[in-house]
Amino acid sequence: MKHPASTPPGVESQRRALLRLDRIGKDYAKIESRGGRLRLVWDLLRGRGAASVFRAVDGVSFELRRGQSLGIIGENGAGKSTLLKIIAGVIQPTRGSVEVNGRVGALLELGSGFHPDYTGLANIDLAAALLGITPSEIATRRDEIIAFADLGEHMNDPIKTYSSGMVVRLGFAVATALDPDILITDEVLAVGDESFQKKCVKWMESYLERGGTLLLCSHSMYHVQKLCAHALWLKDGKVVSYGEAVAVTQEYLAYHEEKTAAPKRPLAPAVAQSAGIYAIERFTLAPEGEMPMGGDLRLSGEMHSPDGREPVVLIGIVRADGTPVYGVATDMDAAPPRRVAPNRYAFDLVLPRLPLLPGKYSIRAHALDPEGVRLFHTVEHSLVITGVTREMGFVRLPHRWEDK
Amino acid sequence: MEQTLQPQAGAMNADGGSGAARRNRALFANFFRRELTARYLGSITGLAWALLHPLALLGVYHFVFTTVFKAGRFGGASFLVFVAVALWPWLAAQEGLQRATVSIASYGGLIRKVAFPHELVVYASVAATLVLQFAGYVAVLIVLGVAGESIRFEGLLLALPLWLVMATAVTGIALLLAALQVFVRDVEHILMPLLMILMYLTPILYPLTLVPEGMRPWVAANPFGWLVARMRDALIDGRLALQWGDAVAMLVAVATFGAGRWVFRRLSPHFEDFV
Repeated sequence: MKHPASTPPGVESQRRALLRLDRIGKDYAKIESRGGRLRLVWDLLRGRGAASVFRAVDGVSFELRRGQSLGIIGENGAGKSTLLKIIAGVIQPTRGSVEVNGRVGALLELGSGFHPDYTGLANIDLAAALLGITPSEIATRRDEIIAFADLGEHMNDPIKTYSSGMVVRLGFAVATALDPDILITDEVLAVGDESFQKKCVKWMESYLERGGTLLLCSHSMYHVQKLCAHALWLKDGKVVSYGEAVAVTQEYLAYHEEKTAAPKRPLAPAVAQSAGIYAIERFTLAPEGEMPMGGDLRLSGEMHSPDGREPVVLIGIVRADGTPVYGVATDMDAAPPRRVAPNRYAFDLVLPRLPLLPGKYSIRAHALDPEGVRLFHTVEHSLVITGVTREMGFVRLPHRWEDK
Repeated sequence: MEQTLQPQAGAMNADGGSGAARRNRALFANFFRRELTARYLGSITGLAWALLHPLALLGVYHFVFTTVFKAGRFGGASFLVFVAVALWPWLAAQEGLQRATVSIASYGGLIRKVAFPHELVVYASVAATLVLQFAGYVAVLIVLGVAGESIRFEGLLLALPLWLVMATAVTGIALLLAALQVFVRDVEHILMPLLMILMYLTPILYPLTLVPEGMRPWVAANPFGWLVARMRDALIDGRLALQWGDAVAMLVAVATFGAGRWVFRRLSPHFEDFV
């Protein structure tokens, strides 16, 4: 589940890290009384830190090389946004150093740094000026941005009259047209309406293929695994875990399983509202409901594709308590679903001699877009594995006791 | 493009490498243009408002002092010219300070999300005000000249550098106020009455010679009083010779600017959290 391998960049840029953070820390002043602000000003003027601080980020170090995207995960308030702001240069770290060797494009929250009173066009010029691009240089790119954002007449209206979706569209268009070496994004992968989301995902894929580097802050483990090679888990401003994306995200999910004592994890609501999305239309198990351990399980189903392109199916097995056991998608195995009608695709999956230990499981089928990025629809069946064994865990692993 | 951010170091400084300097020029130009157009674009009278306000004030002062109080001539000029020459720079400084004080807040969205030297916002705000006001100043002098008042237009040769000295000092104070305003919102509210009081304590509506002898040194110590006196020297009396006091004033202005910028740069890394 990694993004496509990057084209090999120059030897020089390979040796040098695109981004290096060394024991970064950021304190925020805590204002406790009415005179606290005055006191803070006085402390800052004397060159001292604030008397009472909140450590938003503490001792974070990592290195980013070209093409090695990084996902930053963690709960709300873990310091993710602060870390991104430090990397984008918006705030200076209280401790440690940041080294950036490339152009950083940041999409922080909605519309990265637009002035609400400026028109869309004026904001493009402002964004260019912020990057040191002169109005004449921006002229050619401006057309690209306008075309990508596709906001029509609204380009001449002040940003404050835009809907949040429109602001994000313009923000994405600006950030991408300036072709950053590192793109920092704050959970805005799928923005705007259906057709614009498609554009975003397409752009993101080609950006990664070109060797672009993504710094993604997301609550979607799926996106982190799909788009990033590495992941960093922040908790209370500190790094809990840093390494391969799949490993870190699983550790993070396991932590959440433990935290939510409730046995049942609420499933993301199925979003099959209209004919406009990729949806699972039929999903059956054979045998149904119950099967002996070690038997063959057959899954089959059909999907609706609104635009006729072939969607991705992701099959997941989870324990009744929500612990993921196994997941596999058609795009991982390069086994696309069969087209049975212009807007209909079918899939069949066999899991021979299913090694699940007795217990209650959920088998889920997820419909994803053809890029395999956005999850549209989920159908779930429960399955009881019967049998008697004293083995522990979820899965019987092939094993052998040797007598030497 | 390469940048290294050190804690407390000047990654945000306006004077980085040549790339940063170019970027800052482009950014300043953008902010400046924006300040000029946005200021009067929304109002029906447009740019004319920049002239109307001081003209109306001048009219009122003329009515109160010349018509009602029957004030005579001061230093060889009518009371109207006497006031106009001094009042304009004061109004320019006042507006410059007031606008700059709240300028950081109006760029809050940008400051929270993009890295750039925050002082450019203050520079653009002050520059836009002073440029407009200087244009208004010259226009009003021309109006008065055409109306038959005696104005020594060669005095503009001195008035312009004087205006620049004032701009330097005003920018320094503006940097200080703008930075403080981010943390303490009262600055904006204290400023208005304070400027009002200062205006009456400055010999703008009256000559220094009318002030009682014992209080005169206190009134004369006001740096703006010096500026007013020099403006009158130049534009009413046509005396263009430089004085030692001018050098002192320039030093004071530069020191004010330096101090204001020092405070601003100390505080600006923390704007993001408070703006």
